[in-house]
Formats: sequence, C-alpha cells, structure tokens
Amino acid sequence: MSRLSRSAFCAAVFGLFLLMMAPPQAAADSIEGDPDAIGYAANGFYLDLMPIAKMELPRILLTRHQDGLSFDVYGSTKAALESGLYTLFDGEGNELSEADIEYAIGESKHYYFPMGAADGAVIVDLSISKHLLAVFLSAILLVIIGLQLGARYRKGIGREEAPKGAWQNTRELMILYIRDEIAKPSIGDKYRRYMPFLLTVFFFILIGNLLGLVPWGITATSNIMVTGTLAAFTFLITQFSGTKDYWLHIFNPPGVPWYVKPFLVPAEVIGMFTKPLALAFRLFGNMVSGKLVIVSVLGLIFIFSAQFGVGIGLGASLISVPVTLFVWVLKFAISFIQAYVFTILSALFIGMALQEHDHEHHEEEPDPHEALLEQADPYVPGDGVPEHSKPQPQPSV
Amino acid sequence: MTVLPLLLQAEAPTPNLLQPEGGMVIWVTIVFLIALWILWRYAWGPISDALEERETRIADSMQQAEKALDEARRIQADNQRARREAEQEGQRILREAREEAERLRSEELQETRERIKEMREQAQEEISREKQSALDELRAEVADLAIDAAERILGEALDQSRHRKLVENMIEDLPKN
Repeated sequence: MSRLSRSAFCAAVFGLFLLMMAPPQAAADSIEGDPDAIGYAANGFYLDLMPIAKMELPRILLTRHQDGLSFDVYGSTKAALESGLYTLFDGEGNELSEADIEYAIGESKHYYFPMGAADGAVIVDLSISKHLLAVFLSAILLVIIGLQLGARYRKGIGREEAPKGAWQNTRELMILYIRDEIAKPSIGDKYRRYMPFLLTVFFFILIGNLLGLVPWGITATSNIMVTGTLAAFTFLITQFSGTKDYWLHIFNPPGVPWYVKPFLVPAEVIGMFTKPLALAFRLFGNMVSGKLVIVSVLGLIFIFSAQFGVGIGLGASLISVPVTLFVWVLKFAISFIQAYVFTILSALFIGMALQEHDHEHHEEEPDPHEALLEQADPYVPGDGVPEHSKPQPQPSV
Repeated sequence: MTVLPLLLQAEAPTPNLLQPEGGMVIWVTIVFLIALWILWRYAWGPISDALEERETRIADSMQQAEKALDEARRIQADNQRARREAEQEGQRILREAREEAERLRSEELQETRERIKEMREQAQEEISREKQSALDELRAEVADLAIDAAERILGEALDQSRHRKLVENMIEDLPKN
C-alpha cells in the first residue's frame, strides 16, 4: 500500500516536473548570458542574493603554472582574472579575448564562464562554490545541533531524567527512529558500529535539504558531487564491511549452474557500483527537481508578463504562487523522505554485505514453498534458486 | 559600445548540472569526515550511550518494580496468613482456657459438694451414734431407776431379770424420743 502510494507520489512529482520544465527551457535563450532555471540550480562561484546583491565567492585553485605548482587563493573570480594568471573560456572551450573578459567583468557576467589557467592547467579547483558554501553551512549547523544535543545528554538530561522540550525530543525521536527502524532491522546485531555514519548522513542530508527551502537557500544536496561523495562513503563502508559470503556471492555465486556464472558475476560486480550510484542520483534528482520546479513555476509569472503584459503576469501569479507553495510543502516532505531513503538504503546495503548465509541450515529447513514444489514434482532440485536472487526487503523509491 | 559585438561571439556555456567537480569531492569528503568525527566523539557516542543507559535503567526499574510488587504481594499474603493463624491460635487458647476454667470450677464445685455431703453424713452418723449410746445409757439408767423405785415402793425384791423385762417393755411402749 505504502509502496503504491509512494510510486504514485513520485509519478505526480515527475509529471509536475515535466509539465513545468518546458517553458523556462524555451525561454532560456531569450535571457542572454544570464542563468536560466538550470543555471539557478547548477553550482556557481557567486551568491545570488538579489535583489540585495550578487556576491562573488573566493577562488582557491591548485594550478600547474609554467614555473611549477602553485596554490592560488583569490577573494573572487574577478581578482583571479585581474591577476592575469587566469582566463575565461566559452562554451566551446575557446579562450575569451582580453576585451571580452573586461566587458564581462564590467557587466558582472564573468562568473557565468568557466575559468582556467592562462599559462598552464588547473589541477583541482578548490573554490568555495555556492553549493560548497551550503555544504559548509549544513555541516556547521549539523555539528552545532549535534554538539548541543550531545551536551544535554552528557549533562544528564535524557540520561538520568526524561528529555526536556520539543526540540530535544524531536531530535531524539529521529535518532531512535534511525536506530530502531533503520539500523537494527537492516544491519542486525552489528548496527552499533554503523550508527554514527547513518546518523551523520541522515542529519547532514536533512539539513542540506531543508536549507534549500529558506529564502536564498542553496540546496547542498542538489549537487551530484555532494550526493556522490556521500554515496561513495556508503559504497566504501559496504565494501569494507563485506563478509566472505558477500564476496563469494559476487564472484562465485553458490547454487548457480556454471554456465550462468559468466553472466551473473559481471552483473553482480556492476550491481556493486549501481547501488550507490542510484543512491547519489536519487537524492540529487529529487533535490534538483524541486529546485527547478519552484524556480520554473515562479518564472512563469515573469515569462507571462514579458510575453503578454503585466496583467497576464499578475493572473499567472494567482496560479503560480499556490502551486509554488504546494511544491514547497512537497519539498519539505521530500527533504525528510529522501534523507530517510538514503539512510535506510545505506543501512540495507551494509546489512546485505554483512549477511552470512548458512546453506546447510537452509536445506534443513526448506521454506514451505519449496517443500510444496518438491512434493508436486520430485525431480525438481531442492535448491535451484540462488540465495541473492531471492527477494530482499528493499523499498523501491 | 564597440566591445558589445565581441561579447556576443562568446556565448556563456549552458550550465551543466552533472559538471564533474573534483574540488567539491575533496571538500565534501573533508567536511563530512570532520563532522562525522566530531559528532561521533561528542554527540552520537554520548547520546547513544545515554539512550541505552536510560533504556536499560527503565527496563531494570520496571523489572525491579515488578519484582518488588510480587514481593510485596507475597509478604502481604504471608502477613494475612500469619494474622489469620494468630487469630485462630488466640481463639483456640481462649477457648481452651475457658474450658479449663469451666472444668476446674465444676470439679471444685463437685468436690466441695462431696465434701459437704461427706461431712454431713459423718455428722449424722456421729449424731445417731451419740443418740444411740445416749438412748442406751438412758435406757439402762431408766431401768435401774425404775427398778430401784419399784423396789422401794413394793418393798419386795422382784426377780431381777423379770423386772428388767417388764421395764424394757414399758420403755418400748413409751413414745419415741
């Protein structure tokens, strides 16, 4: 039932997404040089605090110049360009002319162009981009909230006495939920070792998601690099927790005819990587779509007023604003749901890697289904079904 | 104004949502690991310990309360039984004492009655014996006196034994007492 409603929910969100995507994409070309809805959701080296200000963010680059490696730190993209060591490139990868760069800086459009070294190659761009800023902010908030809660428990509130106040109870509720509903059932006895990771990842994603809902908010989790890094943690933890059985099931699946193995083993190996990859893309897709839907639906007001006049634009706002509010509420729910989904799937992957299969035990206690099959046809082999291909408890989101 | 056409040649690339950014990965890894470490050390660790401690304590207290309740019930039952037993014992003792007293009293009464009866019988016996001897004595005296008197009156001595017989007959004829 919940699976059905969840997929219906996803379909609704996706439908809305498709519906709203078309107009701004078409309109993007008319807004010359300025970012469209995609640009709004994409990473950048500036903070868009309009109508107050647009703020450039610091650039930190590790670059191989002609005279060797250097670690360059600038207050802004403009400062980096003015140093002469860096230059801008256009969409085709051609260097912009001096005059173009000057013009772009004059018009405050230089940060829409990719920047590269004038006399070498940027090895790694460690600049504080807007998504990175959101990551920092989320992490700082997370640490503050976590430390404050930890201090309460160390003081004895919640240890010797009942937790006090809605704020502590809310956080405790989430922690207990992760422990009792996610970690314990998915991982099993060894859940304790993975709790800090699951809790950190859950609250980090949750705070990152929610930060995107405040005015001028940036969604850290709408960056594929952020979600990818988090998924990589899950991936590494899963692989390092893998028992002998886990590796055996990947590279030599038991109970499978030999001629199936050449097909099954690559599939299993690919599965090792697709699981965390899906984790990363799911979170990224959910977050970026919410961002795009909101900016697109609100953008309709301005597109309509530009195309058909202010009256029509005002009329469009009558629809756009309630729809935005609705999407905002959806995003609020999705913030929690996606944090939960990421956490429970991470826990499930870890739990699957930790599983120790006992084959003898399995044959001693055949499940009733198999027993029935054997009764019906005595020539059906007892254990023809490989362990891992049996349905695993795995929510499909 | 002459630079404007130059810029138009340089179109800003459409932003790419899937832009690979190595720097982001490095930063996020560092930030996440630091946050994980700090929270592990100062938040999740102590919180999990506190929660487990609290849960075990609550479970223990509940178990202890259950045990204490059982104990109390048992003690109460014991007390009740003991009280009932004591009451019964007391009643029994009281009843026995009462019976004993009753028995003693009736025994004593009986004894007293018997002694009184005995004494009365003895006294009666004594009285009758004394009366008999007095009567005998009186009889002898009377006979002697009569004979004496008769001798004196008649002046003649009668045969002793015959006279006695006579007198005795006369006495017999006398009204009793």
